[in-house]
Amino acid sequence: MPAGLRVEDLTVALDGERKARCSFTLAPGERCALTGPSGSGKTTLLRGIAQLVAPVSGTVHLDDQPPEALGYPAYRRRVVYVGQRPALTAATVRANLEAAFSYRAASKPFVLEGAQTCLEALRLRDVLDRPARELSVGEQQRVAFVRAFLLAPDVFLLDEPTSALDPDAEAALEALLDADRDRRQSSTVIVTHQTAQAERLGAARVEVA
Amino acid sequence: MSQTIALTPVDLVIATALVFVAGAVSVLLRLGLERRLAVASVRTLVQLGLLGYVLRWVFGHDTPWPVLVWIAVMIAAAGRAAVARSSRKYGHVHLDAFLTLALTSLATTFTVTGAVVGVQPWYQAQYVIPLLGMVLGNSLTGISLALDHLLESLDAKRELIEAHLALGATRWEAAREPLAEAVRRGMIPIINSMSVVGLVSLPGMMTGQILSGEDPVDAVKYQLVVMFMLAASTSLGCIVIALLAYRRLFDAAHRLRADHINAASS
Repeated sequence: MPAGLRVEDLTVALDGERKARCSFTLAPGERCALTGPSGSGKTTLLRGIAQLVAPVSGTVHLDDQPPEALGYPAYRRRVVYVGQRPALTAATVRANLEAAFSYRAASKPFVLEGAQTCLEALRLRDVLDRPARELSVGEQQRVAFVRAFLLAPDVFLLDEPTSALDPDAEAALEALLDADRDRRQSSTVIVTHQTAQAERLGAARVEVA
Repeated sequence: MSQTIALTPVDLVIATALVFVAGAVSVLLRLGLERRLAVASVRTLVQLGLLGYVLRWVFGHDTPWPVLVWIAVMIAAAGRAAVARSSRKYGHVHLDAFLTLALTSLATTFTVTGAVVGVQPWYQAQYVIPLLGMVLGNSLTGISLALDHLLESLDAKRELIEAHLALGATRWEAAREPLAEAVRRGMIPIINSMSVVGLVSLPGMMTGQILSGEDPVDAVKYQLVVMFMLAASTSLGCIVIALLAYRRLFDAAHRLRADHINAASS
């Protein structure tokens, strides 16, 4: 039985002397929402869990192993962070989605049909051959989500994943996440300003200290 | 071979008058550059004057030490200049620029003086110092362009690079494109000048040789060696500075340390 994601007293530095800290454990399939006032460091903590910023103290374990034991790139493929602002290259959507499968840490090939199915589930049609930066922000946000989703990670770290989406696309994204949890027991750590979204996803509240 | 015409102090005074043309332009157009022009002129006079006497003294001693000391001074000055032109810096950037210039310019210069020109002894200042000077001058332009571009793009594309890292890219996979682009940027000036050399510009060294009475074809032979030497040292310099900056700005945990980049205070 895999142990899931364990975050113990993870502390990250914010601007100046301020710090943010949180602790929680997520078994496979479980979800939590980091909550706290804006500026309390939720985003930085999420990036800390992804090891994109060096924590001041505290530890993260995935299935009882620290990231350095798994290798940072391999760890990040299993605990994948999706930032609030979509960061896509000027190339086509297809190239953007494919890029992550050319890395050394990639263990499986890019499957075009899978990508297509995901995009369509998120109401994105005929976008594969369009330059990613020509899409609207809402469309880019979904492409960035699909890019992470295709890696089939153990844990999603989602920072305001539906901030630029209309209610229809938002519901579609949540449905995709639910289906993936039911199928693969994927977990999610979400930062969202909507309490309703956290409740819909059944995410336990984790207060940021 | 024609006789070199030595310049007398009177000739130099006449040349100085040319600076006053620039000064007059500044006054007429109210550019406010008179002071800076005066300071720059005096610096030119003092720096070159000193150089002449230092080199005469260095040339007069048949030991490597004065040459080596002078080389160190040149490299340090070039390193400072390379960093000063960059709009962003990081910790140890001066050291990295110095190491880069020392490594690449010495390697190319001594390859040329040793293997191509066949200078005997190896430290003969008459060859080593002018050649090294040209190498440093060009390398520092290339290095500062590469460095400036690299730091700017790491800063500007930070979210994109972190997105790659977040998707499991190694630091090398995430950094490769900005690094290659920075090296490209640094190499463009030397490639441009190789394309127009002789058509638009007569290189300074060739000009100097021709002025001092050298046969143009001999001068061209030297210039060919020099151009290829500059191409080699500039490209090596760009690659080395990019790699050193990469080592400092991406850590072992495959993180981009954008917090190590800071805007130059100026």
